[in-house]
Amino acid sequence: MPRTQKKGAIVAGFLAPHPPHLVYGENPPQNEPRSQCGWEQLRWAYERARKSLDALKPDVLLVHSPHWITQQGHHFLGVPQLSGKSVDPIFPNIFRYSFELNVDVALAEACCAEGAKQGLYTKLMRNPHFRVDYGTITTLHMIRPQWDIPVVGLSANNSPYYLSTEEGLEEMDRLGRATRTAIEKLGRRAVLLASNTLCHWHFHEEPALPEDMSQEHPQSLSGYQWDMRMIDLLRQGNTKEVFRLLPQFIDEAFAEVKSGAFTWMFAAMGYPEIPAELHGYGTVIGTGNAVMEWNLEQAKLSKPASKTRASRRAIRQAA
Amino acid sequence: MAVVSAFLVPGSPLPYVKRDNPPWGKIATGLERAGTALVQSKPDVILLYSTQWIAVLDQLWQTRSRVSGLHVDENWHEYGELPYVLKIDTQLAKACVSATGTIGVKSKAVNYDGFPIDTGTIVAANFLNPGGKIPMVLASNNLYHDFALTEKLGRLAARLAGKQKKRVAVVGVGNFSGAFFRHEIDIAKDKLVAPKYDRWNKKILALLQAGDRRGLSAALPEFATKGQADMGFKHGAWVLGALGGKFTGAQVHAYGPLYGSGGAVVEFRLK
Ligand SMILES: [Fe+2]
Repeated sequence: MPRTQKKGAIVAGFLAPHPPHLVYGENPPQNEPRSQCGWEQLRWAYERARKSLDALKPDVLLVHSPHWITQQGHHFLGVPQLSGKSVDPIFPNIFRYSFELNVDVALAEACCAEGAKQGLYTKLMRNPHFRVDYGTITTLHMIRPQWDIPVVGLSANNSPYYLSTEEGLEEMDRLGRATRTAIEKLGRRAVLLASNTLCHWHFHEEPALPEDMSQEHPQSLSGYQWDMRMIDLLRQGNTKEVFRLLPQFIDEAFAEVKSGAFTWMFAAMGYPEIPAELHGYGTVIGTGNAVMEWNLEQAKLSKPASKTRASRRAIRQAA
Repeated sequence: MAVVSAFLVPGSPLPYVKRDNPPWGKIATGLERAGTALVQSKPDVILLYSTQWIAVLDQLWQTRSRVSGLHVDENWHEYGELPYVLKIDTQLAKACVSATGTIGVKSKAVNYDGFPIDTGTIVAANFLNPGGKIPMVLASNNLYHDFALTEKLGRLAARLAGKQKKRVAVVGVGNFSGAFFRHEIDIAKDKLVAPKYDRWNKKILALLQAGDRRGLSAALPEFATKGQADMGFKHGAWVLGALGGKFTGAQVHAYGPLYGSGGAVVEFRLK
């Protein structure tokens, strides 16, 4: 059971993308296919993130994945234990992973209830035969391969694809705030994982050897430039500007952050204006991926503070 | 002609997992009627394309000789599981993989234990081919393929089946209008999201029933945009391609709402 404290807090958030290639490159025993090498810069970025996470000693990891798509509502994994074999439908040649995970059901229920209070349509996933999506699994493996911390998995309602980007992301803002309230109420030390790639322009053919790194580079120069611009703003802690640019970034770089995880995480953290730690950047089949950390505990922002509320308000007004 | 029967069916799990809800039960009954017609046509193989099997790199084809499992829909998990057992015509599927280069499409064979079979394929197979007795060829929906290219894929698959002297049932799995309700509704009173989608669906169904191929070709591009046809109605392209555009009419076994989207069970008349 997760340890509890008087009042819960989000101690950190990570941008934690999910290309299955990273698991493939690492060759953990859970994954069937074997590789020679590959995507080291990103894998080593995750190694640094793993160390930070370990030091934070969270009770729970919350992960929002674009590859659990729910057209009706925002769903939460709500079964204590889930296991199975996850085969990536796009890259079955490199990702066939046997997983077992424990869910913090009480927190999932609280997130679900708080989301409903925010006017969102929310649902718990109670079916024990459910197959967890490969985005959730890849992100969780890459950040914590020990699988010893309970998780809360959130689906992508994909509202930004059905509504306008701005309207959809406003829903993700509410989901983030609901998540924060639930964490605080239940007294969890929580880490948030936004499972998103940045620029999502990709190649349409895989090299014959998937880990042939001589073929790996950004698919598009403009996409790469967008990624660097956004990462640099995040490194400066210029959150306001990042969120002002976000819709344009999404449109022009086909950024996967459109699916909402990034906004959800920032809303939950109170849009902190603190410099992000960039653990590393790399491309996977041409897409741009950054592993980044916002350590709220270090920045002494892990408690609800009027400053973060104020900056959140300012950002909403700017939008 | 290799094609002995052809169908369009919805890929929503609702008629399968929740048929006691009257609007969805009506679609389930229609699917069973289509299943009877399919079996009576005595096909050697079913060529099935589901809009829900998404591919983004190559055109994927299932080539594992037997696929089975218990699937839970990502969205409708509360209504239970979808068990499936499918027999694959690997000879024909592999022929498709090898031949698509001739129409400029790179294909890949999918032969992995645990590969996720999409809800649409399972629902269609369970209604139209209960027990998985008839071998199938399963084709993916590559998001970068358009209507015309999907027609070519359907035509090619049917032609290759003909070469192997097989009688073919062709099935396209997907919705008519794809717009759906995003929030909780009273499911017993399910209806189309908006009257315009109902009008569009009925217009396309009438053209199919009348066997008006020219009218259909003219209407489909606008149906894709204004009627928000599911995935540009590419499941229709698959069937029309396999038929070489030749059909004389169609029977609508069922039509109705599936959480706001348009679900229709259509059997093409071939003579
Ligand atoms: Fe992704």
